[in-house]
Amino acid sequence: MRHKGGFGDLLFGVANTLLMVGLMIVTLYPLLHIAFASVSDPATLMQYRGILLKPLGFTLEAYRRVLDNPMIMIGYRNTLFYVIVGTALNLVMTTLGAYALSRRNLLFKNVIMLMILFTMFFSGGLVPTFLLVGITLNMMDTPWALIVPAAISTYNLIIMRTAFEAVPVALEEAARIDGANDFQILWRVYLPVCLPTLAVMTLFYAVAHWNSFFSAMVYLRSRDLYPLQLVLREILITNSTDVMLTGISQTDAMPIGETIKYATIVVATLPILCVYPFLQRYFVKGVMIGAVKG
Amino acid sequence: MATQVAKRVNRGKRIVSHIGLGQMIAKDWKRNKYVYLMLLPVIIYYLVFHYGPMYGVIIAFQDYSITKGVWGSPWIGLENFQQFFSGFHFSRTVINTLAINVIDLLFGFPAPIVLALLINEIHLNPFKRLVQTITYMPHFVSVVVVVGILVDFLARDGVINNVLVVILGISPTAFLQQPEWFRWLFVGSGVWQHIGWGSIIYLAAISAIDPEQYEAAMLDGASRFQQIRHVTLPGIMPTIIILLILRVGNMMTVGYEKILLMYNPMTYETADVISTYVYRQGILQADYSFSAAVGLFNSVINFGLLIFANWFSRRVSETSLW
Amino acid sequence: MNRKITRREFLRYAGLAAGATVLASCGAPPQAPPTQAPPLATAPGAAATQVPTKAAATVPPATQVPAGPEPLTLPIVKQPMTLTYWVETNPNVAAVAKNYNEILCYQELEKRTGIRLDFQQSPVGQGLETFNLMIASQRYPDMIEFGFGGRAGGASTPPGGPAKYLKDGVILRLNDLIDKYAPNFKKVMADHPDWRKQIITDEGDIYGFPFIRGDPFLLTYTGPILRGDWLEKLGLKVPTTLDEWYTVLKAFKEKDPNGNGKADEIPFTPFQNPKYLQGVRGAAAFIGAWGMQVEFYQDKGVVKHGALQPGFKDFLKLFAQWYKEGLIDPDFVTYDRKMLDAKVTGDQLGSLIGNAGSAIGNYMGLMAEKNPKFKLIGAPYPVLKAGQKPTIGQQDFEFQGQVTAISTANKRVVESIKYLDYAYSPEGTMLFNFGVEGVSYKMVDGYPKYTDLVMRSPDKLPVAQAMCKYFRSSFNGPFIQDKRYMEQYYELPEQRDAVKNWVVEKNDTWLPAVTVTQDESKKFATISNDVTTRMDEAIAKIIVGQQSVDSWDQVVQQLRQMGIEDAVKIQQGALDRYNKR
Repeated sequence: MRHKGGFGDLLFGVANTLLMVGLMIVTLYPLLHIAFASVSDPATLMQYRGILLKPLGFTLEAYRRVLDNPMIMIGYRNTLFYVIVGTALNLVMTTLGAYALSRRNLLFKNVIMLMILFTMFFSGGLVPTFLLVGITLNMMDTPWALIVPAAISTYNLIIMRTAFEAVPVALEEAARIDGANDFQILWRVYLPVCLPTLAVMTLFYAVAHWNSFFSAMVYLRSRDLYPLQLVLREILITNSTDVMLTGISQTDAMPIGETIKYATIVVATLPILCVYPFLQRYFVKGVMIGAVKG
Repeated sequence: MATQVAKRVNRGKRIVSHIGLGQMIAKDWKRNKYVYLMLLPVIIYYLVFHYGPMYGVIIAFQDYSITKGVWGSPWIGLENFQQFFSGFHFSRTVINTLAINVIDLLFGFPAPIVLALLINEIHLNPFKRLVQTITYMPHFVSVVVVVGILVDFLARDGVINNVLVVILGISPTAFLQQPEWFRWLFVGSGVWQHIGWGSIIYLAAISAIDPEQYEAAMLDGASRFQQIRHVTLPGIMPTIIILLILRVGNMMTVGYEKILLMYNPMTYETADVISTYVYRQGILQADYSFSAAVGLFNSVINFGLLIFANWFSRRVSETSLW
Repeated sequence: MNRKITRREFLRYAGLAAGATVLASCGAPPQAPPTQAPPLATAPGAAATQVPTKAAATVPPATQVPAGPEPLTLPIVKQPMTLTYWVETNPNVAAVAKNYNEILCYQELEKRTGIRLDFQQSPVGQGLETFNLMIASQRYPDMIEFGFGGRAGGASTPPGGPAKYLKDGVILRLNDLIDKYAPNFKKVMADHPDWRKQIITDEGDIYGFPFIRGDPFLLTYTGPILRGDWLEKLGLKVPTTLDEWYTVLKAFKEKDPNGNGKADEIPFTPFQNPKYLQGVRGAAAFIGAWGMQVEFYQDKGVVKHGALQPGFKDFLKLFAQWYKEGLIDPDFVTYDRKMLDAKVTGDQLGSLIGNAGSAIGNYMGLMAEKNPKFKLIGAPYPVLKAGQKPTIGQQDFEFQGQVTAISTANKRVVESIKYLDYAYSPEGTMLFNFGVEGVSYKMVDGYPKYTDLVMRSPDKLPVAQAMCKYFRSSFNGPFIQDKRYMEQYYELPEQRDAVKNWVVEKNDTWLPAVTVTQDESKKFATISNDVTTRMDEAIAKIIVGQQSVDSWDQVVQQLRQMGIEDAVKIQQGALDRYNKR
């Protein structure tokens, strides 16, 4: 976006930049804190109060303990599967639903929309859902219990529908004149135009799958299927300093609890943090350039 | 009746026509066959996974026992609700829940929008992407860690008080012990943690605005701020409105996890919300039906608020959920 | 969507809390194992006395013996058999074993009995939820290990207590089966009628094989802790009365015991973890001096509540005074575990209430290198006047609600009973507490000493985790915990001395695990919640001086309005039923 230069604009630019830098410092701090803490000496860390500007001592012991756990690799592998397959399913279902509900002349549109919205507020609860998924549908102890019941997030569905509704009718009409049916219109017109929204949806769903552990906890019995977050939660609880630990004989092994917590968080979060920068290229303006002409 | 049906469906945009209901359905089917086909898996999903277990709602009206199951547990009507309403601290928890949400609505809701607008004003692309990437990171940090840092910083001998004492000469304040501070600290720390993540959706919406509109505005001599006001904001207004409606539909909900970590008996009077109150009750007796009843109560009010917000939005704008 | 999360997360946390309570219950003095070890071969006609199954009669053994319980012979089955067993994974075990079958004692058990357990383990910390779901699914494994008999007000039992699971056909009533097939367990119960009273329902039914800590040494593990080196430096002796505590705390504050020239010492903090469950309960250690407890307790069979006692005001007055003089950490209300760790290891905190294991053991181990003089000692629970003896101190009951029950889906009940009974035999007790001789322990002068595999694990594991590779004494299970496990677990003399100091001889104000009836439970829960909330708030504000001590009178009035006296009546009824067992 360009506009006339001028002193006012320059001032604004400087102020904005300073503000952004300040914001970045403040939002970066928690992660720095965690990163530094994860490689610090546990005993020193324990008595330290205040801002962490650098690691206190340096040791990779916490990471060794976390990564030594044989379940970590299994967790990563499983989570990768859940994220990829899950997000794919999410995108397909959400896109279909959003497109359908964005049609202007759909007779039952509002009825269906209300029916869907209703489920955002009212639900049967954990036990009936568990009985349905685990027993009736027999998905107990399978990866599908983690993927299928989560196929659509109503919130995301609404966001995508809003994006579809913003697409100029002219585009659709042009395609219809060319004889395209709804599937083709969706594929050739709406999806390319709404690429930024698709990118956001991918991010939201991927992150949700990455972070999820509750369904795994409820439906999985085989540790071979455990997603990463469940493995890491176990490590966290196991190494919490609240667990009774003993005296002098094991000085090294014991106070490591706090730093293990931080190392766990780094291991759990680093990969997913890399997704967004990757998706940012889709937030490109001008996807619509030339779309509506004449 | 057919006329009324037709009127309702064609919300004032088309000529009211006197077709029968059956014919309308047939026409709709003919035109939107594929659309309904697309909807089929979606509808099946909701019916199976959301409406299937929906019978569980009656747990709120039962004395639910896990051994007897939903169908075997005795019916006690509104007793769970009465139990909830007659609690000594009931009104306080409701007020606190609403108060926190109102503050969050006033400050927490606009913050990501403002951030998105400001980020959009950055011309240097690498810097812009850097800002986006970093500001969204705290969202991934677990709330336990965030509050741990907060507790440490806000302690009487913590970093923030040290700064205040040294630079401003004020005596230390025990922030987390004072009820007046709680809501602001709670909402404020939430803004800090989630502002970056929240701005993503708005950034996506902004990037969907046709650049030609900006060209036109510039040709008309619009300044930066005028462009924001007349091009950007209207361009993302549907997104804002929809998200606002959904947010209003959440006014009775404050998650207990973060409150539990941040509150203490000194701040109960502003910090104790419905979910923490119910949580403490649950520690005494694992009473499913009680929490189900409270949840149902919350949901009904939330849904009501949503309906109201949607109705209001229909009247003042073109955007609404239905 | 929102509502789903509310309940889901609530259950998750309830589960975590339950898991934490289980974790906290370490250490029960093992009953001195019976010295005669019945040979493993058959002892024909071993006559264990018949214990009447209904508590109606008193204990005199009935002598009609059509057939005494069959003696336990090994192996239990000729063909290998597998039974399914549900249990919540203990966090320490999760660190060292993927499946409980990797624990040495279970491998050995399989060899001896011929029965293998197929463990269905819930994820760590999620026991309550997965348990509830398992029950709801009505697909029960053969045996279920769970806190069915949770303490009064415990989160792990539904209203109505364990009797509900019996009545609703989830688990079996075991009285007759024990009579016939579980001689070892029967004998243990006959020798300890007070234990038996704890493990049965109000109606006298036995619902599972319990985890028991038989020695007082195992029941006490929390108490007042002070910096022993500071006491020495300042020439003070260990305080026993409240006045002596005042002197000590004042000295801590004014005489710079940490020697850094700054008055940064914090004499005392009443914080106890987890904070959101206990508010200011750490102060409970001191309130015993007035002969009362903070909440429900009993005085010779009469249930009382601390808040309604006149002495409560005196306690508040004392603490408010201490706070005013800077003897209590001004931030005590906002503490979390991290803060406590920081202030102890940062050489600031002079005293606290804590555990022999996680406080004394942990902190002293941490500080050993940096500050060899650092010493934490356990002081006895304080009294009002010199010469008095403490009458109230932390002490768990031998039975904390954890049992292994037999489900109604079990088709091999007899073998299951025999299998579980083995743990209560002398060999079984050794196996569960110490593991396998020669591997995890060696007999030294008649004392089972843990080997270096356990105490100095080659994988550099903390002792608590190393132990979990071989036996179960460090976490609950269907057996009797042996005191000698704890004596070795507490490696530091300070830990053992602390427990000795904390044990209160006549400690009978505690309420046992009474059961509130189904009908009363909702009312009781609401009243309790309201009362606790109000009390915590008022206590905190009075101690920090925001409200006057006299304002407590109004608070008591409010508590009465909330129905605290009804709650006391409900508990009284529960206690009466318990006493009649």
